[in-house]
Amino acid sequence: MNLTGMRHYAEHDEVDAVVIGTGAGGAPILARLAQAGLSVVALEAGRNWEPTDHTPDEVDAGSIYWLEERLSGGNDPEAFGGNNSGAGVGGSTLHWGAFCPRPDARDLRLASGEGVGVDWPLTHAELLPYIEEVERFIQVSGPADYPWDPTRRYPLPPVARNSAADAMARGADALGIRTTDSPAAIVSRDVRQPHFGVRHGAINSGATHQGDRVASKASMDVTYLPLAVARGAEIRAEAMVHGLERDAAGRITAVVYRKDGVDHRQRTRNVFLCGGGVESPRLLLNLGLANSSGEVGRNYMAHPAAQVWGRFETPMRMWRGWPSSLISEDMVRPKEKEQDFAGGYLMQSLGVLPIALASNMARSGIRGERLMDLLDGYDSFAGIGVNGECLPYEDNRLTLADEVDAVGLRKARIDFSYGANERALEDHAIATMRAIWEAAGAKDVFVIARSAHSEGTLRMGDDRDASVVDRDGRSHDVDNLYVCDNSVFPSSLIANPALTIMALALRTADRFLSRTS
Amino acid sequence: MPRTTLFLLHGLGLSGRSWDGVVAALGDELDPVVIDLPGHGSAADSEAVTAEETAVFVAARIVAAEPDRWLIAGHGIGGRIAAIVTSWAERGEHGLTPADGLALVAAVPPSPAPQDDRLRAAWAEGAISAADAAAFVDRDIALALPEPARTAAIEDVERASRVAVLEWLERGVLEDRSDEVGVLRTPAVVLVGSQDAGAARELPAVPDAPVHEVDGAARLLPLEAPQEVAAHLAALAARVRDRPALPAAFARLIASDRVSARTRRVMLARLTEPDPASRALSAAQHELLTLVLARIVPQRGTDVDLASRIDAGLGAGLGDGWRFAELPPDLEAYRRGLDTIAALEPGFASLDAAAQDEVLDRIADGALGSDEKGLLTADRMRLWFGDVQADAVRTWLSHPAAQAWIRYDGFADGGDGPRKQGFTTTHAGEWEAWQRDWRTGEELQA
Repeated sequence: MNLTGMRHYAEHDEVDAVVIGTGAGGAPILARLAQAGLSVVALEAGRNWEPTDHTPDEVDAGSIYWLEERLSGGNDPEAFGGNNSGAGVGGSTLHWGAFCPRPDARDLRLASGEGVGVDWPLTHAELLPYIEEVERFIQVSGPADYPWDPTRRYPLPPVARNSAADAMARGADALGIRTTDSPAAIVSRDVRQPHFGVRHGAINSGATHQGDRVASKASMDVTYLPLAVARGAEIRAEAMVHGLERDAAGRITAVVYRKDGVDHRQRTRNVFLCGGGVESPRLLLNLGLANSSGEVGRNYMAHPAAQVWGRFETPMRMWRGWPSSLISEDMVRPKEKEQDFAGGYLMQSLGVLPIALASNMARSGIRGERLMDLLDGYDSFAGIGVNGECLPYEDNRLTLADEVDAVGLRKARIDFSYGANERALEDHAIATMRAIWEAAGAKDVFVIARSAHSEGTLRMGDDRDASVVDRDGRSHDVDNLYVCDNSVFPSSLIANPALTIMALALRTADRFLSRTS
Repeated sequence: MPRTTLFLLHGLGLSGRSWDGVVAALGDELDPVVIDLPGHGSAADSEAVTAEETAVFVAARIVAAEPDRWLIAGHGIGGRIAAIVTSWAERGEHGLTPADGLALVAAVPPSPAPQDDRLRAAWAEGAISAADAAAFVDRDIALALPEPARTAAIEDVERASRVAVLEWLERGVLEDRSDEVGVLRTPAVVLVGSQDAGAARELPAVPDAPVHEVDGAARLLPLEAPQEVAAHLAALAARVRDRPALPAAFARLIASDRVSARTRRVMLARLTEPDPASRALSAAQHELLTLVLARIVPQRGTDVDLASRIDAGLGAGLGDGWRFAELPPDLEAYRRGLDTIAALEPGFASLDAAAQDEVLDRIADGALGSDEKGLLTADRMRLWFGDVQADAVRTWLSHPAAQAWIRYDGFADGGDGPRKQGFTTTHAGEWEAWQRDWRTGEELQA
């Protein structure tokens, strides 16, 4: 993004806040605090990009992923890198899918409604105004009538459906499953974004997923960060935080980061840690900070995200169009469950670029002539995918490995295994998706089992013995440390996390401002 | 059947017809296209006579011809232009698709090549005399030229643009284009006359190219020894005939303005085979990996050396952001995984495909492994094999030839202009006028 004319703070100036990370958590906070007149500096480990720097080449686009190595264990080890972790000014929003459903109120009250997991300490009603504010600001496109929420209105009409969406709608209709155009954090026509300029309307390319060259997608570098910079915030890219200095009372006094091989120290009155579900707990564990509860790194959750693929008679060329252009919320709480499980799942149509899809096929054990037979028909594929509820388990947690990274921090080890609930839910989701494809006339149907997103490692809660931050995102232990990213999620929410993180970020900033003013 | 076009670039002062003898000797295998360079022959009146303008002119002629496959041969300054154009083609610049072969014929190299100052003097005073033109031709020959070739050459020199010739002598040959050209991956051949003591025989741009001396000849090789030059060009064509090439329409798409410079650069860079020196695995491990990969991705329509690419990636320590906690770092995991196969299935190489597949099935099922030190247990073999399978498809599908085979054009969603073209149609069975069946290059039918 354009950083010319940006305000600069001296390292020895004590700023009001340092924000660590510039993704869906850090960027809205940075903007909100700067708008309130506070002196704020964001430290981003990745580099700064212009939208036009990105590439639709799948391998080369790896430059926007977090490629510092993580160790993945458990019975269902999760893939990182391109699957869910970004680097660069804008964080993971540079490569998010922009699929933008709202969190469902029932998913914030999982313990009350389903008898498992925990409830969020804040209500859906508290979050809703922030969700609506985010949707207005980042200019979400969506249907005029949302079947599962008649009151909902989106700022822009939906983006074009693609072949996979058409096929899924056909199959779902035949089964009586409702579908509609997905809420998309992609502008369906040219819009003006304050302090950025013109964001071009969607160019109907699946590669938008991995770095949008026309800024149709609401990544933070074309939305909240230009606002933040216009209001006096400073963003330092390629600045990897590895230390937090504290005074005798335990309050943070400075943030230590490495840039161009040199350690720097920024004095600050407050810190907002927004590094995501892996990097945030990894930093705190490395520093032995904010963990009197022993909960840092615990409650790791990843959405069961199975996909079902099929081949159609007509060439689909599913790399055209926004990949996730159809949604169904009919399975948020499935009525008929052969096997009982808590929660539910969201369904979306899928168009996936060849390397991402084939890598997942390969990891699912498809190889040899069968792999080639299937790839022969790649241009006739279409997919359906889900995001399902994941419950927290004792053994699913992030710990530190013995190996260290380039700045001397121990690497993260994430152990993840599905429990009975995830397996039952996944089975149900796969059966539903298979039925839709069958009804739509798909051939050569195959399943890819995978999980996505990383949540819950710095749980938000009222009980300081069972959580890391309070309902305002503030550390129970260190009173000038706040966290906002998917690590604070008490439950996984089946809605993709970015919208909720952005809404929480605005709320976290407002709660902070109301306390300090 | 795709045809191969041979573009022929003449030397300073000459014209396309200096290749007449070569063309006559070539036979039907190649489709020759002789080009009169700006300032020369039919293009003597051209205003664009710098080396850059000449190269751009040549590139435009090649692009306009839309060749299926193409070779380029350049004589003298034409050789310098051919090398520049070939380097552009390797990078997909100026709309060019990669060349299949390059012949440098008594070529002016990309590095500065000062010429005999007496040459310049002949033109410096004004229009060149017939005697000077004859001297210019005779000076560069050791073998007698037959008529009418000699007369034609002298006429060409007389009518060449004085401005163009002086531009070449005073600036064109002195430019240092060696960094721009770099080291070419395009197969090449170098021809020099045995009587041309000053000719560059080892050219850094084409370090692996065979160098042939044309016996008794000096510098006007296409005129002095057309049969022999034609034979060497035919040999180059034969040498590259069976090399895998991108389908021409697909190569043109990559070179088109629907693709960004960054994307084009990284895609075409994958046509270069990795340096064997960058390998990290032992020869035995590498060989076994080659066999395993051939069963994971039994390629159709392509012949990409997957093992060398993965091996080079292991050597470079290229990670993807995570690894299985149960496995050592990637390179070590590959070494141990391959060693485990070698230890438990020593006859793997001699098994037939079905039996090899059966071994791989056992690995995937967690039924093949060893507790011995330095080897991987069955559980770890299963995890490692998952990585190998993912690396195999990723490496294969990152190659443009594989993308053509699966008929993928998602990378062509817009070039570097202020407005990206994107896709106009998104529904099944619809396509846009520029789209083809990239595997065959054929137009799409309703």
